[in-house]
Amino acid sequence: MATIRNEIRRLRFEHGEMTQQELAEKINLTRQTVNAIELGKYSPSLEAAFRIAAVFGRPLESVFHYSEDE
Amino acid sequence: MSFREKTAWISLLSMSGIYAWYFWSAFGSGSHFGGLLVAIVALVIVQTVLTVAVAVVAPREAKAPRDERDRLIDLRATRFAYAVLAGSVACACFFGGFNPPVIFNANVLLFFLVIAEILRSGCQIIQYRRGA
Repeated sequence: MATIRNEIRRLRFEHGEMTQQELAEKINLTRQTVNAIELGKYSPSLEAAFRIAAVFGRPLESVFHYSEDE
Repeated sequence: MSFREKTAWISLLSMSGIYAWYFWSAFGSGSHFGGLLVAIVALVIVQTVLTVAVAVVAPREAKAPRDERDRLIDLRATRFAYAVLAGSVACACFFGGFNPPVIFNANVLLFFLVIAEILRSGCQIIQYRRGA
C-alpha cells in the first residue's frame, strides 16, 4: 500500500512555531484539512502540495515523501 | 470539529427527528399534506437557528469557504446518496405498478429522498471523523 508522509509538523516549528491555523490561512485551506494532511489521513492536491512547499521555501520532495510498501 | 461537520450533524439530526415524526403520522393516518408543510417549515426553522448559533460561536470558520477536502467529502457523500436514491426510486416505480394510492406512493418517494439525504449527511460525518 502506498503512503505519503510529510515534514509539515517539523517545518512549522522551524518556521517560528507556525500554527496550523496560520499555515491554513496562507494556503487557503481549513485548519482541519491541514491537520488531516499532517497526520497523513488526507493526501492534498498537487496544487495544495506546491502551495505548502512554497510557504516553507522548500522543494516539494523535501516536504512530501512517497513510499510504496511491499 | 469543523463548521462543515457541525452543519452535517445539524442536517442529520434535524431531518431524522422531524421526518420521523412526519412519516409516523403520514403512514399512520394516510393523507397528510398539512403535516408535510409543518415538517418543511419546522426543518427550515430548526436548521437555520442551529446553523446561525454555530456560526455565532465560531464566526471565522463559518466565513471560510469550502476547501478541496470539503468538496471531495461532499462529492463522495453525494455519489453514495445518489446511488441509494436511484435504486430506491427504481423500487418505488416497480411497486407503483401495483396501483397503490397516489398519496401513499408520493410519501414513499419522499421517504426515499429523505433517507438519501440523511445518508449523505452521515457519509459526510464519517469522512470528517476519519480525516477524509
